Amino acid sequence: MIKTIKASKSEKILFIFLICLSIFAFTSFFLLKNKCLFVDKNNLNKLNFNNPDNIAVMNVECGNVIIELYPNISPKAVERFKILIEQKMYDGSAFYKVSENTFVQAGDIEYGNINNLDYSKIGSGKSGLGLLKSELSNDFKFTEGSVGFARATEFDTEDSEFFITLKEIPIYQGEYTPIGKVVYGLDILTNIKTGNKAIYVLRPDYIKTFRMFNSN
Amino acid sequence: MKILFLFILIFHISHVNADEIYNLIKIPNLEIYKLKNDNNIRYLSAKGDFKIGINKNISCDKVNINNLNSKFPLIEKNLNRYNSNFLNKIKLKYIVFCENLFISEINTGGIPDNKNRTLILDINFNKKYFERMMHHEIFHMIQNTHIEYFDENKFSSFNMTSFNYAECSTCSDRLNLDLYEKTDGFLTEYSKSIPSEDMAEIFSFLMTDKEIIEDKINSDKILNNKVNFIRLNLAKIDKNIL
Repeated sequence: MIKTIKASKSEKILFIFLICLSIFAFTSFFLLKNKCLFVDKNNLNKLNFNNPDNIAVMNVECGNVIIELYPNISPKAVERFKILIEQKMYDGSAFYKVSENTFVQAGDIEYGNINNLDYSKIGSGKSGLGLLKSELSNDFKFTEGSVGFARATEFDTEDSEFFITLKEIPIYQGEYTPIGKVVYGLDILTNIKTGNKAIYVLRPDYIKTFRMFNSN
Repeated sequence: MKILFLFILIFHISHVNADEIYNLIKIPNLEIYKLKNDNNIRYLSAKGDFKIGINKNISCDKVNINNLNSKFPLIEKNLNRYNSNFLNKIKLKYIVFCENLFISEINTGGIPDNKNRTLILDINFNKKYFERMMHHEIFHMIQNTHIEYFDENKFSSFNMTSFNYAECSTCSDRLNLDLYEKTDGFLTEYSKSIPSEDMAEIFSFLMTDKEIIEDKINSDKILNNKVNFIRLNLAKIDKNIL
Protein backbone atom coordinates (compact mmCIF):
# COMPACT_ATOMS: atom_id res chain seq x y z
CA MET A 1 0.00 0.00 0.00
CA ILE A 2 1.36 3.39 -1.01
CA LYS A 3 1.41 5.94 1.68
CA THR A 4 0.73 9.49 0.44
CA ILE A 5 2.98 12.13 1.88
CA LYS A 6 1.55 15.62 2.22
CA ALA A 7 3.79 18.49 1.14
CA SER A 8 4.72 20.86 3.89
CA LYS A 9 3.83 24.57 3.67
CA SER A 10 7.38 25.60 2.87
CA GLU A 11 7.59 22.99 0.09
CA LYS A 12 4.38 24.35 -1.43
CA ILE A 13 5.78 27.89 -1.35
CA LEU A 14 9.00 26.72 -2.99
CA PHE A 15 7.04 24.87 -5.67
CA ILE A 16 4.92 27.96 -6.49
CA PHE A 17 8.06 30.10 -6.53
CA LEU A 18 9.74 27.76 -9.03
CA ILE A 19 6.67 27.79 -11.30
CA CYS A 20 6.57 31.62 -11.22
CA LEU A 21 10.30 31.75 -11.94
CA SER A 22 9.98 29.46 -14.95
CA ILE A 23 7.05 31.48 -16.36
CA PHE A 24 9.03 34.69 -15.88
CA ALA A 25 12.16 33.22 -17.51
CA PHE A 26 10.19 31.78 -20.43
CA THR A 27 8.33 35.02 -21.21
CA SER A 28 11.43 37.16 -20.68
CA PHE A 29 13.36 35.04 -23.14
CA PHE A 30 10.84 35.64 -25.92
CA LEU A 31 10.17 39.28 -25.03
CA LEU A 32 13.84 40.24 -24.76
CA LYS A 33 14.73 38.37 -27.92
CA ASN A 34 12.38 40.65 -29.83
CA LYS A 35 14.56 43.77 -30.00
CA CYS A 36 11.84 45.66 -31.88
CA LEU A 37 9.15 45.19 -29.25
CA PHE A 38 9.12 48.70 -27.82
CA VAL A 39 10.28 50.56 -30.92
CA ASP A 40 7.97 52.94 -32.78
CA LYS A 41 7.68 51.59 -36.31
CA ASN A 42 6.73 54.98 -37.86
CA ASN A 43 3.56 54.32 -39.86
CA LEU A 44 3.91 56.32 -43.10
CA ASN A 45 0.17 56.94 -43.37
CA LYS A 46 0.31 59.08 -40.24
CA LEU A 47 3.23 61.26 -41.35
CA ASN A 48 3.16 64.49 -43.35
CA PHE A 49 6.08 66.45 -44.74
CA ASN A 50 6.46 69.95 -46.16
CA ASN A 51 8.90 68.80 -48.81
CA PRO A 52 8.07 65.14 -49.57
CA ASP A 53 10.35 65.11 -52.64
CA ASN A 54 13.33 65.09 -50.32
CA ILE A 55 12.07 62.48 -47.90
CA ALA A 56 13.45 58.94 -48.10
CA VAL A 57 12.12 55.94 -46.20
CA MET A 58 14.51 53.19 -45.18
CA ASN A 59 12.72 50.08 -43.96
CA VAL A 60 14.70 47.83 -41.63
CA GLU A 61 13.76 44.99 -39.28
CA CYS A 62 12.29 47.23 -36.57
CA GLY A 63 10.43 49.69 -38.80
CA ASN A 64 10.84 52.79 -40.95
CA VAL A 65 13.67 55.28 -40.67
CA ILE A 66 12.64 58.59 -42.26
CA ILE A 67 15.44 60.71 -43.71
CA GLU A 68 15.20 64.28 -44.96
CA LEU A 69 17.70 64.93 -47.75
CA TYR A 70 19.55 68.23 -48.14
CA PRO A 71 20.10 68.97 -51.85
CA ASN A 72 20.88 72.60 -50.99
CA ILE A 73 24.01 71.53 -49.10
CA SER A 74 25.26 68.75 -51.36
CA PRO A 75 23.30 68.61 -54.65
CA LYS A 76 25.41 65.99 -56.45
CA ALA A 77 25.52 63.65 -53.46
CA VAL A 78 21.76 63.87 -52.91
CA GLU A 79 21.12 63.35 -56.61
CA ARG A 80 23.27 60.18 -56.49
CA PHE A 81 21.55 59.00 -53.32
CA LYS A 82 18.12 59.40 -54.94
CA ILE A 83 19.24 57.49 -58.05
CA LEU A 84 20.47 54.59 -55.92
CA ILE A 85 17.20 54.57 -53.98
CA GLU A 86 15.02 54.78 -57.09
CA GLN A 87 16.96 51.94 -58.73
CA LYS A 88 16.40 49.90 -55.53
CA MET A 89 20.15 49.34 -55.26
CA TYR A 90 20.12 49.73 -51.48
CA ASP A 91 17.58 46.95 -50.96
CA GLY A 92 19.31 44.15 -49.05
CA SER A 93 22.33 46.32 -48.24
CA ALA A 94 23.96 45.19 -44.98
CA PHE A 95 24.90 47.39 -42.04
CA TYR A 96 28.30 45.76 -42.10
CA LYS A 97 30.13 48.47 -40.16
CA VAL A 98 28.46 49.46 -36.90
CA SER A 99 29.98 51.13 -33.86
CA GLU A 100 27.68 50.88 -30.87
CA ASN A 101 25.83 54.13 -30.14
CA THR A 102 28.18 55.89 -32.57
CA PHE A 103 27.32 55.18 -36.22
CA VAL A 104 25.93 52.59 -38.63
CA GLN A 105 27.22 52.17 -42.18
CA ALA A 106 25.72 50.44 -45.20
CA GLY A 107 25.51 50.84 -48.96
CA ASP A 108 28.25 48.68 -50.47
CA ILE A 109 26.28 47.68 -53.55
CA GLU A 110 28.84 45.22 -54.92
CA TYR A 111 30.07 43.29 -51.88
CA GLY A 112 27.72 44.31 -49.07
CA ASN A 113 24.37 42.88 -50.11
CA ILE A 114 22.93 40.44 -47.63
CA ASN A 115 22.54 37.87 -50.40
CA ASN A 116 26.12 38.24 -51.54
CA LEU A 117 28.31 39.33 -48.62
CA ASP A 118 32.02 39.22 -49.36
CA TYR A 119 33.91 40.05 -46.17
CA SER A 120 37.27 39.99 -47.91
CA LYS A 121 36.22 42.89 -50.16
CA ILE A 122 33.44 44.59 -48.22
CA GLY A 123 33.80 48.36 -48.16
CA SER A 124 35.50 48.47 -51.54
CA GLY A 125 32.47 47.75 -53.72
CA LYS A 126 31.32 50.05 -56.50
CA SER A 127 27.87 51.06 -57.64
CA GLY A 128 28.91 51.33 -61.27
CA LEU A 129 27.83 54.98 -61.34
CA GLY A 130 31.35 56.36 -60.81
CA LEU A 131 32.96 58.33 -58.01
CA LEU A 132 31.69 61.70 -56.80
CA LYS A 133 33.56 64.81 -55.75
CA SER A 134 33.29 65.46 -52.01
CA GLU A 135 30.81 68.23 -51.17
CA LEU A 136 32.11 69.27 -47.78
CA SER A 137 30.41 71.81 -45.59
CA ASN A 138 32.18 73.54 -42.74
CA ASP A 139 28.79 74.60 -41.36
CA PHE A 140 27.03 71.24 -41.30
CA LYS A 141 27.28 69.71 -37.85
CA PHE A 142 27.22 65.93 -37.61
CA THR A 143 24.74 65.81 -34.78
CA GLU A 144 22.77 62.72 -33.80
CA GLY A 145 21.00 61.26 -36.86
CA SER A 146 23.16 62.93 -39.53
CA VAL A 147 23.50 61.04 -42.79
CA GLY A 148 26.80 61.34 -44.66
CA PHE A 149 28.42 59.78 -47.69
CA ALA A 150 31.27 57.46 -46.71
CA ARG A 151 34.50 57.64 -48.68
CA ALA A 152 37.91 56.02 -48.93
CA THR A 153 40.86 57.67 -47.14
CA GLU A 154 41.09 60.20 -49.96
CA PHE A 155 38.47 62.83 -50.74
CA ASP A 156 36.44 62.68 -53.98
CA THR A 157 35.93 58.93 -53.63
CA GLU A 158 32.24 58.93 -52.62
CA ASP A 159 30.14 56.37 -54.44
CA SER A 160 27.23 54.64 -52.68
CA GLU A 161 28.18 53.85 -49.08
CA PHE A 162 26.64 56.02 -46.40
CA PHE A 163 26.66 56.27 -42.63
CA ILE A 164 24.23 57.57 -40.05
CA THR A 165 25.53 59.01 -36.78
CA LEU A 166 23.91 57.85 -33.54
CA LYS A 167 25.51 60.63 -31.50
CA GLU A 168 27.10 63.99 -32.22
CA ILE A 169 30.50 63.49 -33.88
CA PRO A 170 32.13 66.93 -34.12
CA ILE A 171 35.30 65.59 -35.72
CA TYR A 172 33.31 64.67 -38.86
CA GLN A 173 32.46 68.31 -39.53
CA GLY A 174 34.10 69.30 -42.80
CA GLU A 175 35.34 65.75 -43.33
CA TYR A 176 32.37 64.00 -44.91
CA THR A 177 29.74 64.97 -47.48
CA PRO A 178 26.41 65.51 -45.68
CA ILE A 179 23.33 64.00 -47.31
CA GLY A 180 20.58 64.66 -44.79
CA LYS A 181 19.23 63.93 -41.34
CA VAL A 182 17.00 61.31 -39.78
CA VAL A 183 13.70 62.95 -38.82
CA TYR A 184 11.99 59.84 -37.44
CA GLY A 185 13.25 56.43 -36.37
CA LEU A 186 16.65 57.05 -34.85
CA ASP A 187 15.75 54.61 -32.05
CA ILE A 188 15.30 51.96 -34.74
CA LEU A 189 18.92 52.43 -35.77
CA THR A 190 20.19 52.05 -32.21
CA ASN A 191 18.81 48.50 -32.41
CA ILE A 192 20.94 47.60 -35.46
CA LYS A 193 23.27 44.71 -34.64
CA THR A 194 26.76 45.91 -33.70
CA GLY A 195 30.16 44.36 -34.19
CA ASN A 196 30.73 44.46 -30.44
CA LYS A 197 33.63 46.94 -30.72
CA ALA A 198 34.93 45.19 -33.83
CA ILE A 199 35.00 46.90 -37.19
CA TYR A 200 32.78 44.47 -39.11
CA VAL A 201 29.54 42.82 -38.10
CA LEU A 202 29.12 39.11 -38.55
CA ARG A 203 25.62 38.16 -39.79
CA PRO A 204 24.61 41.84 -40.00
CA ASP A 205 21.20 43.51 -40.07
CA TYR A 206 20.26 44.92 -43.44
CA ILE A 207 18.00 47.36 -45.30
CA LYS A 208 14.81 45.61 -46.39
CA THR A 209 13.70 48.38 -48.74
CA PHE A 210 14.76 51.96 -49.37
CA ARG A 211 12.26 54.19 -51.19
CA MET A 212 11.52 57.85 -51.74
CA PHE A 213 8.46 58.88 -49.70
CA ASN A 214 6.53 59.89 -52.81
CA SER A 215 6.90 56.46 -54.36
CA ASN A 216 5.29 54.71 -51.35
CA MET B 1 38.53 25.98 -46.01
CA LYS B 2 35.33 27.80 -45.05
CA ILE B 3 35.98 27.10 -41.37
CA LEU B 4 39.50 28.47 -41.71
CA PHE B 5 38.16 31.61 -43.42
CA LEU B 6 35.56 32.04 -40.68
CA PHE B 7 38.25 31.62 -38.02
CA ILE B 8 40.44 34.26 -39.68
CA LEU B 9 37.44 36.57 -40.00
CA ILE B 10 36.43 36.20 -36.36
CA PHE B 11 40.04 36.75 -35.29
CA HIS B 12 40.26 39.81 -37.54
CA ILE B 13 37.00 41.43 -36.46
CA SER B 14 37.66 40.79 -32.79
CA HIS B 15 40.84 42.77 -32.58
CA VAL B 16 40.14 46.13 -34.18
CA ASN B 17 38.39 48.84 -32.23
CA ALA B 18 35.93 50.62 -34.44
CA ASP B 19 35.04 54.10 -33.33
CA GLU B 20 34.43 57.39 -35.12
CA ILE B 21 38.08 58.53 -34.99
CA TYR B 22 39.42 55.15 -36.11
CA ASN B 23 36.96 55.34 -38.99
CA LEU B 24 38.53 58.64 -40.02
CA ILE B 25 42.30 58.26 -39.57
CA LYS B 26 42.73 54.53 -38.91
CA ILE B 27 44.34 54.84 -35.49
CA PRO B 28 42.51 53.19 -32.58
CA ASN B 29 42.17 54.34 -28.97
CA LEU B 30 42.18 58.07 -29.63
CA GLU B 31 40.12 60.86 -28.16
CA ILE B 32 39.75 64.54 -28.99
CA TYR B 33 42.20 66.79 -27.14
CA LYS B 34 41.47 70.12 -28.87
CA LEU B 35 39.29 70.49 -31.94
CA LYS B 36 38.84 74.19 -32.62
CA ASN B 37 41.99 76.01 -33.69
CA ASP B 38 42.64 79.04 -35.87
CA ASN B 39 44.62 77.05 -38.44
CA ASN B 40 42.03 74.21 -38.41
CA ILE B 41 44.49 71.69 -37.06
CA ARG B 42 42.91 69.09 -34.79
CA TYR B 43 44.66 67.62 -31.76
CA LEU B 44 43.96 64.05 -30.65
CA SER B 45 45.47 62.07 -27.81
CA ALA B 46 45.91 58.36 -27.18
CA LYS B 47 43.55 57.19 -24.44
CA GLY B 48 45.03 53.70 -24.77
CA ASP B 49 48.09 52.06 -26.27
CA PHE B 50 47.91 51.40 -30.01
CA LYS B 51 49.68 49.44 -32.70
CA ILE B 52 49.24 50.26 -36.37
CA GLY B 53 50.93 49.85 -39.74
CA ILE B 54 52.19 46.90 -41.69
CA ASN B 55 52.63 43.97 -39.30
CA LYS B 56 51.71 46.41 -36.50
CA ASN B 57 55.25 47.80 -36.67
CA ILE B 58 54.27 51.18 -35.24
CA SER B 59 53.43 51.24 -31.56
CA CYS B 60 52.76 53.97 -29.03
CA ASP B 61 51.46 54.23 -25.48
CA LYS B 62 48.62 56.24 -24.05
CA VAL B 63 49.37 59.76 -22.86
CA ASN B 64 49.52 60.94 -19.32
CA ILE B 65 47.14 63.88 -19.55
CA ASN B 66 49.11 66.00 -17.03
CA ASN B 67 52.24 65.42 -19.05
CA LEU B 68 50.42 66.50 -22.23
CA ASN B 69 48.84 69.52 -20.58
CA SER B 70 52.27 70.74 -19.53
CA LYS B 71 53.76 70.32 -23.02
CA PHE B 72 50.80 71.41 -25.13
CA PRO B 73 51.40 75.21 -25.02
CA LEU B 74 54.85 74.72 -26.58
CA ILE B 75 53.48 72.35 -29.21
CA GLU B 76 50.60 74.67 -30.07
CA LYS B 77 52.89 77.70 -30.25
CA ASN B 78 55.05 75.94 -32.83
CA LEU B 79 52.19 74.53 -34.90
CA ASN B 80 50.38 77.87 -34.94
CA ARG B 81 53.18 79.12 -37.18
CA TYR B 82 51.61 77.19 -40.05
CA ASN B 83 48.46 78.68 -41.57
CA SER B 84 45.47 76.55 -42.60
CA ASN B 85 46.09 77.08 -46.31
CA PHE B 86 49.64 75.78 -45.99
CA LEU B 87 48.51 72.85 -43.84
CA ASN B 88 45.94 71.95 -46.50
CA LYS B 89 48.66 71.97 -49.13
CA ILE B 90 50.89 69.63 -47.16
CA LYS B 91 47.95 67.44 -46.10
CA LEU B 92 48.25 67.88 -42.37
CA LYS B 93 45.09 68.08 -40.31
CA TYR B 94 45.49 65.78 -37.30
CA ILE B 95 48.18 65.76 -34.62
CA VAL B 96 48.13 62.58 -32.53
CA PHE B 97 49.81 62.71 -29.12
CA CYS B 98 51.15 59.56 -27.51
CA GLU B 99 54.15 58.41 -25.50
CA ASN B 100 57.05 56.10 -26.37
CA LEU B 101 56.59 55.97 -30.11
CA PHE B 102 58.38 53.13 -31.88
CA ILE B 103 58.62 52.13 -35.53
CA SER B 104 60.07 48.68 -36.17
CA GLU B 105 61.39 48.76 -32.60
CA ILE B 106 63.29 52.03 -33.20
CA ASN B 107 62.31 54.92 -30.93
CA THR B 108 61.25 57.98 -32.93
CA GLY B 109 59.88 61.44 -32.18
CA GLY B 110 57.27 61.62 -34.89
CA ILE B 111 55.71 59.72 -37.77
CA PRO B 112 54.11 61.66 -40.62
CA ASP B 113 51.27 60.09 -42.60
CA ASN B 114 50.17 62.27 -45.52
CA LYS B 115 47.58 59.73 -46.64
CA ASN B 116 45.61 60.12 -43.42
CA ARG B 117 46.71 63.79 -42.99
CA THR B 118 48.18 62.85 -39.64
CA LEU B 119 51.36 63.46 -37.69
CA ILE B 120 51.94 61.21 -34.68
CA LEU B 121 54.10 62.87 -32.01
CA ASP B 122 55.83 61.30 -29.02
CA ILE B 123 55.44 63.92 -26.31
CA ASN B 124 58.26 62.29 -24.34
CA PHE B 125 60.81 62.81 -27.10
CA ASN B 126 64.11 64.40 -26.09
CA LYS B 127 63.16 67.74 -24.52
CA LYS B 128 66.21 69.49 -25.96
CA TYR B 129 65.21 68.73 -29.55
CA PHE B 130 61.44 68.50 -29.21
CA GLU B 131 60.57 71.73 -31.04
CA ARG B 132 63.01 71.00 -33.83
CA MET B 133 61.69 67.46 -34.12
CA MET B 134 58.16 68.72 -34.81
CA HIS B 135 59.29 70.97 -37.68
CA HIS B 136 61.60 68.22 -38.93
CA GLU B 137 58.66 65.80 -39.25
CA ILE B 138 56.50 68.50 -40.83
CA PHE B 139 59.17 68.96 -43.48
CA HIS B 140 58.76 65.30 -44.42
CA MET B 141 55.08 66.04 -45.02
CA ILE B 142 56.04 69.08 -47.11
CA GLN B 143 58.43 67.01 -49.19
CA ASN B 144 56.00 64.10 -49.60
CA THR B 145 53.34 66.41 -51.00
CA HIS B 146 55.72 68.53 -53.11
CA ILE B 147 58.31 66.06 -54.30
CA GLU B 148 58.77 68.09 -57.50
CA TYR B 149 60.20 71.00 -55.50
CA PHE B 150 62.51 68.97 -53.29
CA ASP B 151 64.34 66.77 -55.75
CA GLU B 152 66.88 64.73 -53.80
CA ASN B 153 69.37 64.35 -56.67
CA LYS B 154 69.49 68.08 -57.19
CA PHE B 155 69.89 68.68 -53.47
CA SER B 156 72.61 66.01 -53.17
CA SER B 157 74.60 67.68 -55.95
CA PHE B 158 75.44 70.54 -53.56
CA ASN B 159 77.66 68.17 -51.56
CA MET B 160 81.32 67.38 -52.25
CA THR B 161 81.53 64.67 -54.90
CA SER B 162 83.36 62.41 -52.47
CA PHE B 163 80.43 62.40 -50.02
CA ASN B 164 77.81 59.64 -50.04
CA TYR B 165 74.63 59.45 -48.03
CA ALA B 166 73.61 56.17 -46.37
CA GLU B 167 71.12 53.77 -47.96
CA CYS B 168 68.40 54.72 -45.49
CA SER B 169 67.94 56.93 -42.42
CA THR B 170 68.08 54.06 -39.94
CA CYS B 171 70.70 51.90 -41.62
CA SER B 172 73.57 54.16 -40.62
CA ASP B 173 74.95 55.16 -37.23
CA ARG B 174 74.67 58.84 -38.14
CA LEU B 175 71.98 59.63 -35.61
CA ASN B 176 73.30 62.46 -33.45
CA LEU B 177 71.13 65.59 -33.49
CA ASP B 178 73.64 68.02 -31.96
CA LEU B 179 74.56 71.02 -34.11
CA TYR B 180 78.09 70.76 -35.52
CA GLU B 181 80.51 73.43 -34.46
CA LYS B 182 82.11 73.22 -37.92
CA THR B 183 79.33 72.38 -40.33
CA ASP B 184 81.06 71.50 -43.64
CA GLY B 185 77.74 71.34 -45.46
CA PHE B 186 75.86 69.48 -42.73
CA LEU B 187 74.19 70.84 -39.64
CA THR B 188 74.14 67.59 -37.66
CA GLU B 189 75.38 64.04 -37.92
CA TYR B 190 71.82 62.98 -38.74
CA SER B 191 71.91 65.33 -41.76
CA LYS B 192 74.45 62.95 -43.28
CA SER B 193 72.07 59.98 -43.21
CA ILE B 194 69.93 60.60 -46.33
CA PRO B 195 69.02 63.68 -48.43
CA SER B 196 65.47 64.02 -47.06
CA GLU B 197 66.77 64.02 -43.47
CA ASP B 198 69.40 66.57 -44.46
CA MET B 199 66.68 68.81 -45.89
CA ALA B 200 64.44 68.25 -42.85
CA GLU B 201 67.27 69.18 -40.50
CA ILE B 202 67.88 72.44 -42.39
CA PHE B 203 64.18 73.29 -42.37
CA SER B 204 63.83 72.54 -38.66
CA PHE B 205 66.81 74.77 -37.80
CA LEU B 206 65.40 77.53 -40.00
CA MET B 207 62.16 77.33 -38.02
CA THR B 208 63.75 77.27 -34.57
CA ASP B 209 67.27 78.74 -34.76
CA LYS B 210 67.30 81.03 -37.77
CA GLU B 211 70.07 83.29 -36.46
CA ILE B 212 72.44 80.38 -35.95
CA ILE B 213 71.87 79.22 -39.53
CA GLU B 214 72.39 82.74 -40.89
CA ASP B 215 75.70 82.77 -39.09
CA LYS B 216 76.76 79.31 -40.27
CA ILE B 217 76.01 79.88 -43.96
CA ASN B 218 78.31 82.89 -44.10
CA SER B 219 81.30 80.59 -43.87
CA ASP B 220 79.86 77.42 -45.45
CA LYS B 221 79.15 77.61 -49.18
CA ILE B 222 77.63 74.13 -49.43
CA LEU B 223 75.27 74.81 -46.55
CA ASN B 224 74.45 78.19 -48.04
CA ASN B 225 73.38 76.52 -51.31
CA LYS B 226 71.30 73.99 -49.45
CA VAL B 227 69.56 76.61 -47.31
CA ASN B 228 68.79 78.70 -50.39
CA PHE B 229 67.40 75.62 -52.11
CA ILE B 230 65.02 74.95 -49.20
CA ARG B 231 63.99 78.61 -48.91
CA LEU B 232 63.43 79.07 -52.62
CA ASN B 233 61.32 75.96 -53.05
CA LEU B 234 59.36 76.44 -49.87
CA ALA B 235 58.42 79.93 -51.04
CA LYS B 236 56.76 78.30 -54.05
CA ILE B 237 54.31 76.71 -51.61
CA ASP B 238 53.99 79.58 -49.13
CA LYS B 239 56.06 82.75 -48.97
CA ASN B 240 55.38 83.39 -45.30
CA ILE B 241 56.53 80.20 -43.61
CA LEU B 242 60.24 81.04 -43.40
